[in-house]
Amino acid sequence: MCETCGCGNPDEVNIHGPGHHHDHEHDHHHDHEHEQAHVHEHEHEHDGHWHSHSHEHKPKKVIDLNQDILTENNRLAEWNRGYFEGKKVICFNLVSSPGSGKTTILEKTIRELIPSRKIFVIEGDQQTSKDADRIEKAGAPSVQINTGSGCHLDARMVHSALHKMEIENNSILFIENVGNLVCPALFDLGEKKRVLVISVTEGDDKPEKYPYMFRSANLCLINKTDLLPYVDFDIETVMNSAKQLNPDLEFIRVSAKSGEGMDKWYEWLGKQG
Amino acid sequence: MHELSLAADVIELVTQEAGKHEVSVIEEVLIEIGDLSGVEADIFEHAMKMVSKDTLLEAAVVKIKRTPGKGHCNFCNNDFEMKSFFDQCPNCQHFTTEILEGREFRVVSLVTS
Repeated sequence: MCETCGCGNPDEVNIHGPGHHHDHEHDHHHDHEHEQAHVHEHEHEHDGHWHSHSHEHKPKKVIDLNQDILTENNRLAEWNRGYFEGKKVICFNLVSSPGSGKTTILEKTIRELIPSRKIFVIEGDQQTSKDADRIEKAGAPSVQINTGSGCHLDARMVHSALHKMEIENNSILFIENVGNLVCPALFDLGEKKRVLVISVTEGDDKPEKYPYMFRSANLCLINKTDLLPYVDFDIETVMNSAKQLNPDLEFIRVSAKSGEGMDKWYEWLGKQG
Repeated sequence: MHELSLAADVIELVTQEAGKHEVSVIEEVLIEIGDLSGVEADIFEHAMKMVSKDTLLEAAVVKIKRTPGKGHCNFCNNDFEMKSFFDQCPNCQHFTTEILEGREFRVVSLVTS
């Protein structure tokens, strides 16, 4: 049991530091089960009432719940959020499809900001600690969450990862979510802002195809702008359709590779606290 | 894909509530899924069958109540049905919409014996 926050179960999801490698032998099969054991603490009472049916032997009981299924995730997310506010930690949840450049953006950001800001990173992937390894090389402490067969990070996983870190006050925490434009949209992690990274090689129809993700984001980084001359990608199309879903969505065009636009990203980060 | 983990959440939630009410057999569970919730009802129903094996919901009938999306246009104050987030106000064609209904995803009730 976590004495600080009362959360109670052992890590069924694998959370570890970087440099965690699996030996793959021919007859050795790794099977990370994505199990979620959730502790539900309900603070409100539910009325149960009895129905008796004359044509049946036993009376049936209808229990009214009206319980939001994401309540537990949202409760933990709010706990995370309160923890961050108390420690003056600014937390960003980075979401995108695989390969859009989240980790490269983070590597560059860490190298730029580390002299003046403390940075911590939580990495999420199904398998491997490759991303956490890269982040450590860039100079920031990180913890890797391997979800096994899971497709998104949730607040419980982040909460468990926080237990394994010693995040300092007044620092920045980046959470790099599992590469997936679908599922992470539904799961609040307790972040201050959600940053959606898309790249110019992915096509300009993403807002229409993944409306939940675009609705849930605060900032959209359009990455790999150095490749614009080689692809059919109309930035205005993306911005217009995304703004229909989410009028408050901000946009910054960057190339992590060439450095173009990154100063505007750092400026945006600085404005968040 | 996340429907599987959400189904597991439902099993956990129902098991907790069943324990509180000291019931061990669930005959029926009613789940409300809004059309704008991000949860696919068909996939969720299938996921429930998969994860309820060897739990107290194994034999339960899962009933799904679908709630249509309803939006409010902040430009002309019209309320209208929304099938997707991209639906514009049929009255003024603006996209300045607030979602009123359709994001629900909840366990409404249980029937036990």
